[in-house]
Amino acid sequence: MNMKSFWLVCSLLATMLTSAIAQDNGDQLIGLWEPSNGKARVKIEKIGSKYYGKIVWLREPNDPQTQQPKVDKNNPDESMRSVPLKGYRMLKDFVFKSGEWTDGTIYDPESGSTYSCVITVKDENTLDIRGYVGVKALGRTDVWKRVKLK
Amino acid sequence: MSLLCNKKGLLFVAFACRILAASAQQDSTANAPEEDYSIYDQVEFVDEKAKRYCSPKIFNQSPQRFISLQYDGQLGYDMRFSQVGSYQENDKVPVAESATAVFTGGLRMSANIPVISKNSLVWQLGANFWQTGYRMKDQVSRIGAAGLIKELDRTGLRTAGLNTTLFKPLNEYSFLLFQGSADLSGNYTLQNMQSLRYLRYSGAVIWGRRPNDRKQWGIGVSRTYRVGEMNYIPVVLFNYTAPNRKWGTEILFPARAHFRRTFNPRNLLLAGYELEGQSYRINKLSDTERSLEIRRGELRARVEFQRQITGFIWLSAQIGWRYNWSFNADMLANDGREFFRGFTGNQSYAMLNTLGNPLFFNIGVHLVSP
Repeated sequence: MNMKSFWLVCSLLATMLTSAIAQDNGDQLIGLWEPSNGKARVKIEKIGSKYYGKIVWLREPNDPQTQQPKVDKNNPDESMRSVPLKGYRMLKDFVFKSGEWTDGTIYDPESGSTYSCVITVKDENTLDIRGYVGVKALGRTDVWKRVKLK
Repeated sequence: MSLLCNKKGLLFVAFACRILAASAQQDSTANAPEEDYSIYDQVEFVDEKAKRYCSPKIFNQSPQRFISLQYDGQLGYDMRFSQVGSYQENDKVPVAESATAVFTGGLRMSANIPVISKNSLVWQLGANFWQTGYRMKDQVSRIGAAGLIKELDRTGLRTAGLNTTLFKPLNEYSFLLFQGSADLSGNYTLQNMQSLRYLRYSGAVIWGRRPNDRKQWGIGVSRTYRVGEMNYIPVVLFNYTAPNRKWGTEILFPARAHFRRTFNPRNLLLAGYELEGQSYRINKLSDTERSLEIRRGELRARVEFQRQITGFIWLSAQIGWRYNWSFNADMLANDGREFFRGFTGNQSYAMLNTLGNPLFFNIGVHLVSP
């Protein structure tokens, strides 16, 4: 192996190592989380190279009017209004870049609105979830805490 | 050949992976596959010190506005002003000048930007600018009149201010709310700016409870110019949404109280009232020793329709009746010092003025908060 090949292999290994570390850091997001209001629990998973979060628990699981399991009745898309909220992917398409999860959206079933969103980790059990309108300054941050099954 | 096959095989695997990845991405927009969700009923925080906090909002509350641009207009009404003198509130005084205000109104702009917005603290800073122009007709002025109608016709009134709001949740059910503002109100212009010593300060502090996602109440005190004069009054907050989510209330008594009818999260109707007021310095009627300020306070009984236009852009349209609470004037020391009359004080007024009570409208476009 000449010097050129040696450096090529080294840089390849370094790239793979960096990528593996980045992937590990990105996977910190995976798990079960509870928003600050305690109204729901969201399970974040990785599908392909992106991260998604689905609602797995609701403090008020049934619609007070119909007494049936809650559905996404406020969705602006009428075809989605009968979809159950349990199992609904409210966090979508997050990509781990430069220490944060970006390019994703967060959906608020209460208003039927979808916001741009960026997720940052405060510590291994705490997330800052910032939904915003256009620019990050016009937004609101919610702190989510990691929970585990008893 | 074998290499070619391998290449083809690799290409096929790569293609299949691509298809699978693509279908996984498409699936991301749909609901996740069914699973046994009952396992998530019993959980505990991994971090034992984790704390839950109450949200500043309740279900179906009208959206909070980041940026607003509104046009406000009042239809015609009569104005009758006294001379500048010294009067008690119920004195019968002769009319020194009068006119019909054919139109009163102008632009209202405001912005409220979150500086800190997280579950344990929400802190916002805001700015506002309101312009009120007057178009008069049939002006009558007797000897000794101050010329206030002419001055209003010429310059109008303006308010520019800064404000801040702090929402501090104490736990899952209790919170503190602080509001403060500093407003410069008068008939100043950019060329003839008013000194900052005439800034008028108001504020409120409220302790409240949010027992569930549909109810929020609180009690507190405020220093306010809502009825024109500075006053200290108790305040009561009561925001409520009915279990069927179709109606509710949005009340910060006595400043405003509204009944809310929610057609859906993107269309709602508010019916109620709001008190609006400020203390406006009139430059021409002030001198080096005295500052004449109109204590303008009005009660606006109104119906407001709010509708999402697209995304986070909302439209609002109000119609209602503007009742004149006060348009009297006080003569203050020119150093900007304020005084407290309250409900029982007997300090005299410098002018006793009456206004008719017209219909008004207000239309606005807003960028709302998530």
